[in-house]
Amino acid sequence: MRHVWSWGAIILGSLYFLLPLIGTVEFSLRMRRGEYSLDAYRSVLADPNFHATFGFSVVMALLTILLGVLIVVPTAYWVRLRLPRLRPVIEFVTLLPLVIPAIVVVFGYIRLFNTSSWLPLTGTAHGTNLLLLCGYATLALPYMYRAVDTGLSTLDVRTLTEAAQSLGAGWTRIIGQLVLPNVLGAVMSGAFLSFAIVIGEFTMATLLNRPAFGPYMQLLGANRAYEPAALAVIAFAATWGCMGLMQLISRVFGAGRSAK
Amino acid sequence: MNRFGWNWLGVLPFFAFALLFLVLPTMNIVIGAFRNPAGEFTLANLAGLASPRIVESFVISIQISLASAALGCLIGFAMAAAVVMGGIPAWVRGPLMTFSGVASNFAGVPLAFAFIATLGRVGLVTMLLRQWFGINIYAMGFNLLSFWGLTLTYLFFQIPLMILIITPALEGLKREWREAAEVLGASTGQYWRMVALPILFPSLLGTFALLFANSFGAVATAYALTGSSLSIVPIMLFAQIRGDVLQDPHLGYAMAFGMIVVTGLANLAYVIMRSRAERWMR
Amino acid sequence: MTFLVLDHLQKSFGSTRVVHDFDLHVEKGEFVSFLGPSGCGKTTVLRMVAGFETPSEGRILIDGQDVTRLRPNQRQIGMVFQAYALFPNLTVAENVGFGLKVAGVARADRADRVAEMLELIGLPDLGARFPWQLSGGQQQRVALARALAPRPRVLLLDEPLSALDAKIRVSLRNQIRAIQQQLGITTIFVTHDQEEALSISDRIVVMHRGVADQTGTPREIYNHPATDFVAGFVGTLNRFEAEVLDRGTGRVRVAGAEFSLNRPLDGDVITLAARPEGLALADEGIPAEVTGVEFLGSVQRVRATVAGREVVLDRFNAPSAALPEPGEIVHFSADRSTWLVLARGD
Repeated sequence: MRHVWSWGAIILGSLYFLLPLIGTVEFSLRMRRGEYSLDAYRSVLADPNFHATFGFSVVMALLTILLGVLIVVPTAYWVRLRLPRLRPVIEFVTLLPLVIPAIVVVFGYIRLFNTSSWLPLTGTAHGTNLLLLCGYATLALPYMYRAVDTGLSTLDVRTLTEAAQSLGAGWTRIIGQLVLPNVLGAVMSGAFLSFAIVIGEFTMATLLNRPAFGPYMQLLGANRAYEPAALAVIAFAATWGCMGLMQLISRVFGAGRSAK
Repeated sequence: MNRFGWNWLGVLPFFAFALLFLVLPTMNIVIGAFRNPAGEFTLANLAGLASPRIVESFVISIQISLASAALGCLIGFAMAAAVVMGGIPAWVRGPLMTFSGVASNFAGVPLAFAFIATLGRVGLVTMLLRQWFGINIYAMGFNLLSFWGLTLTYLFFQIPLMILIITPALEGLKREWREAAEVLGASTGQYWRMVALPILFPSLLGTFALLFANSFGAVATAYALTGSSLSIVPIMLFAQIRGDVLQDPHLGYAMAFGMIVVTGLANLAYVIMRSRAERWMR
Repeated sequence: MTFLVLDHLQKSFGSTRVVHDFDLHVEKGEFVSFLGPSGCGKTTVLRMVAGFETPSEGRILIDGQDVTRLRPNQRQIGMVFQAYALFPNLTVAENVGFGLKVAGVARADRADRVAEMLELIGLPDLGARFPWQLSGGQQQRVALARALAPRPRVLLLDEPLSALDAKIRVSLRNQIRAIQQQLGITTIFVTHDQEEALSISDRIVVMHRGVADQTGTPREIYNHPATDFVAGFVGTLNRFEAEVLDRGTGRVRVAGAEFSLNRPLDGDVITLAARPEGLALADEGIPAEVTGVEFLGSVQRVRATVAGREVVLDRFNAPSAALPEPGEIVHFSADRSTWLVLARGD
């Protein structure tokens, strides 16, 4: 009896999740009347805007990952090593982006960094791009920090540092050549999650008026019928490809390596 | 003492970043909510929130958030319970968790497209229901671009989030509790009513709060799905930032402040409930 | 009067046989311990009695009633778990009263019985506390009270003391025994600690790889072990290789010393065994080189080697008795009746 309910729940649940995915793929193949074809995909891939915005978002994603790593890894390491009592504070700060909606944050950016403020980032395209980058890094912060912190918890940070220092290593070397490689698995999972977040991000990009993939998708959705579905499939594939790689790499790097 | 100073230098970049790109912008909004155009302190903006349009948008937002959180909790709980203790084979668990991890982050424009492609007027399921079962859901009054349509779409990331969070809590239900209850004469129903559900209650309530906050702040999915037709708070704020549709910028700050308050309270509830739950699980 | 009968119980998980042909008749009010190393099947048998495992073969009878097919909640059994398993959302009083509440006992009667049980375990004032506010020993006592409150027919304890500190273990096991005797409840106690089993049981079942090697009183188990495993598992055992000189009279030679066991022996070379307290220092006997001496307060312990193997001798402390020095050659002897003959190849 218990099994009937259990399987029912699982099957119905799976149906709810699978049908939209199947539906999207099916819809994206319907562009040509009467038969299935890849016309929608061709249309999308032929669109120069697609390449421009997708490229923009990919670059932004990579930069976000870089920025995230630069900020999070040394901080997480340093806090564990020297300021352990500060950890709850840091954790709290990294959870703030989950509490404060992105739309409020970007609203704040527009107010704080507009052309009449002390740091007029929104005045130029590059400045706005920088602002967007920082916004993305903020959105990804909780995930990146959680991943790196978990990865660090498996290392004995103190001993590792003392050993390295006794051998004459400086901070950059310690962080770059000892800490980072050992938390690579964790960093990877944080990186892929960041990538997925940035690729599809809509709110910040739209309100800051940058040519990112999210706004492009939404615009196409408002104007076209079949291309949006193709875009959704591409976005799914990109996101899930990331997740898959993330799992794979964290299994190879994360579980395998551990500091002695 | 010098050492102490150097230590703090190490976390300076982090705090500088957080200050500049998280704290200050938010504070700016919060303070702006209490300022009038002349720069003086005022509560008028908050009072302006009481206008019918804005109140209505808050109401709708809260309703959608409650609905998607409640359904997300129920269905997510059912699925997690099925996998943890319902006799589902072990190999289902891994893929379910992985999928939940992915799907819980899966909001935004592609999600809206996916549901339009499935349950829109010419969506796959809409057509299949008509062709195979003769059921025309649109004729029956269903519309994806509506309150319930949006709720249904939100479930796509709410349910996985519930599964992810409640599964450890369900696993934390020690087998011995169940056995102890049984030896003392309790039936399965009594065990759940008197032991298991009360133990799970903080986790359930906390996750509900989290799901609520999650839904309340979501913009992209709603915008892509219902455009501006469904006037939930984030959409109104979006429009306001874009083009000052409210004719009063400070009202926008008040709305943003209102959003922060709602999501802040919900998250606070989640944190409190979670620490309660953890204390019991020791 | 046989109250609890375990009749030819067998249990297999898949193709692995975990319990072989387990037979036991327990008298009403008797305290029986299942003693054995991890994996010997003792917990499996207990769980079959409780109803959490179904025997592959065999029956379980409580007070004449065949309960083999009954669910745990229908058997009127009390159980105490190793991990206490107190319900964290209920107070101590609510935990203790749980079985009564489930049975539909009225609130006032419940409260009386709960107070009675709390008094019994010596924690009358902790009714309003929650489990996480109690120490391990207190939690286990509450677990005991909870199990006993609904007046079960049989009490089962699954290694209840293993998770506790050594000092608490000793006092709590005596308390459990005292309560059990006071209530006269038939009890099965599973443990891997032989000192525990020996000190509080009426009878012990020593289990090894799913089989009950020996069932008997503590003294029987210790002094007359039926199998080599029991001899080695319960208490310390000194082993000596002995050459049989005369099978009829039982004359043997150990490390050069000859003596008679006055009983017939089989084989040419056998293994003899003796407990540390069964050996004595003598002028003549088995030669041994002393490797160390431990003064344990009430006991003097002499460690020595005989033909390369370590042997331990225990004797009561007597201030006048001189302790041998390491390196000295001493002689061990023992009463011929206390020598155990183990099977060859042990």
